[in-house]
Amino acid sequence: MESISFMRKHRNLFLLIAVIVVVAIWKPHAAIYGLQRGSLYSLVGLPLSLTLGVVGIMNLAHGDFLSLGIYFVYLFATNLGMDPLVSIIPVFFLLFGLGVVIYKLTITRVMKSGHLNQLLLTFGISMILLEAMNVIWTSRPRSVYVEYSSSSTTIAGVRFGTYELLYVVFAFAVLIALQLFLKKTRLGQATFAVGQNPQGAKIVGINTGFVYLFVFGISIAILGIAAGVMVPRFAIFPSVGSAFTMKSFCLVAMAGLGNLTGILVSGIVLGVGEAIVQSIPGYAGWSDIVFFGVLIAVIMIRSLRRQSL
Amino acid sequence: MKITKSLVIIMLLIAAALLPVVTEAYFISVAITILTFMTLSISWDMMLRTGQLSFGTAGFFGLGGYTGIIAVADFGVDPLVGIILGGLLAGGVSLLLGMAILRLRGLYFAITTMALASVFMVIIRNLNKLTGGPSGKIVYTTLFNYDSVKVYWLMLGITVGTIVVSEVFQRTRVHFAIDSIRADETVAKSHGVNIYKYLIFVFVVTSIIQGVIGSTYALQYGFVYPESSFSAHYLLLPIAMALVGGIYSTIGPVLGAIILGLSSEYLKLIMPYGHLIIYGVIIVVVVLFLPNGVYGAIKDVTGFRKRRLEER
Repeated sequence: MESISFMRKHRNLFLLIAVIVVVAIWKPHAAIYGLQRGSLYSLVGLPLSLTLGVVGIMNLAHGDFLSLGIYFVYLFATNLGMDPLVSIIPVFFLLFGLGVVIYKLTITRVMKSGHLNQLLLTFGISMILLEAMNVIWTSRPRSVYVEYSSSSTTIAGVRFGTYELLYVVFAFAVLIALQLFLKKTRLGQATFAVGQNPQGAKIVGINTGFVYLFVFGISIAILGIAAGVMVPRFAIFPSVGSAFTMKSFCLVAMAGLGNLTGILVSGIVLGVGEAIVQSIPGYAGWSDIVFFGVLIAVIMIRSLRRQSL
Repeated sequence: MKITKSLVIIMLLIAAALLPVVTEAYFISVAITILTFMTLSISWDMMLRTGQLSFGTAGFFGLGGYTGIIAVADFGVDPLVGIILGGLLAGGVSLLLGMAILRLRGLYFAITTMALASVFMVIIRNLNKLTGGPSGKIVYTTLFNYDSVKVYWLMLGITVGTIVVSEVFQRTRVHFAIDSIRADETVAKSHGVNIYKYLIFVFVVTSIIQGVIGSTYALQYGFVYPESSFSAHYLLLPIAMALVGGIYSTIGPVLGAIILGLSSEYLKLIMPYGHLIIYGVIIVVVVLFLPNGVYGAIKDVTGFRKRRLEER
């Protein structure tokens, strides 16, 4: 009995490992690149899941906060000569402060209005951020070079970049940290409670306003971690993060609200799927369809299953 | 009251139709852009009235544009026929898709439509032979040979047509069906409203409008390009306009399109770089302080005054 419930509890995780093993035998490159890229998607998607699950806000400016974090890392690297991975620490706190300020100024006022107004508000914020970055730093692509970012290694005849494995490490680290925070700390348990039932949480004396504020801030701050890891391998321009907004939404929809582990699983599955399509000669351009195709399929299957019940 | 209202509408129509006579080419092109977004905004709001938030506006807009350009470039049809084809294709595609996705609700419908719009773009970017792929497609026989006054009148006609359709929806039994779906779906269902049929009907009609306006817009310049034809601007600006003006009405999107369209054009003149920042600030301020939009605020104020007069 014990073992069955264990299997069932971690069904997604086993599924994920099985998928990666099968792909690794069939197309080793696709498996490794997919794992790396998928982890990055999940690293960016995790905080969005947190805001959507707990605060209930669809943050359309998610990707633009990521771009902003990337520019902060860039500034630290060029002005202070700071290593991008080290600058994660100051950028984390900078973004946390920014998130708190933006929440206090705007989001807190639309908490009670409908979804539409919240969407439009974050759309406005996204526009302000994107255009401000365009004005300050222009659309000229920039980059930060660090020596270790282009290292690579060969395992069993498959050559791949080792730096990108950091995405995997960070994605797992952030996921585990978030889970520990939600389960072990008082604030985390309060956050979990607010996510489950805001009204009930209020009745038992949880300061929901503070939880919202904190979760929004920490979500933006986690983007600073993603920004720090991304900078050595990405060209830096104002709309670099925009594509991540939609992809993060895809992950949240696939995983379901409040399912943090699911974000990592679906992120990696989609990353691997993308890498497989990209590895077919002549069809690399179709890889974007994977995300949306899988998303639509998952949503349709879910809704049909719900109807049959 | 009724006579003054219709008089005002007729005056406004005449003024709009005579606009090209009194203004210069620059203002006509601004007006064409505003009308384009106004139509998109109204069509988006029409779908919203059923309670379904659609993010597929840009998808059908781009689809219509590509159909129009391909019809003119590869099959040599007249641009006007190309516009009709653009609308028909968008309508047909939306009928097929709508049968599947209109069973979804809320956030799931919204995200699926957003994903579908991206799927359209990926497909079009990869069908190199037909669509020109990532570099886009150019056609040399444009709408009325770049005669922007005629384009303006055509655009105005489409916009007025859309307004009429929207008002018809507001005044006939369609309106009651739609409102009842938005208010409480289960009750609507149990009273014999065929929700699914009405949702598909509204979805197809709004998609046709979006396809028509998309192909008109594309054929006016004679070129399509994946990133610009499916740009998120054709999704987000109409939404912003509807919300600024006030949703769930025809006049709201119209007002919003005029306010945001003119102010963005003016901001473009006084600050060529970064005018969109101010535009974003306007949206944020409107959401925070005028949550019912401008039309809603006007209604609130006049309603308040009326109530006070009655109390006296």
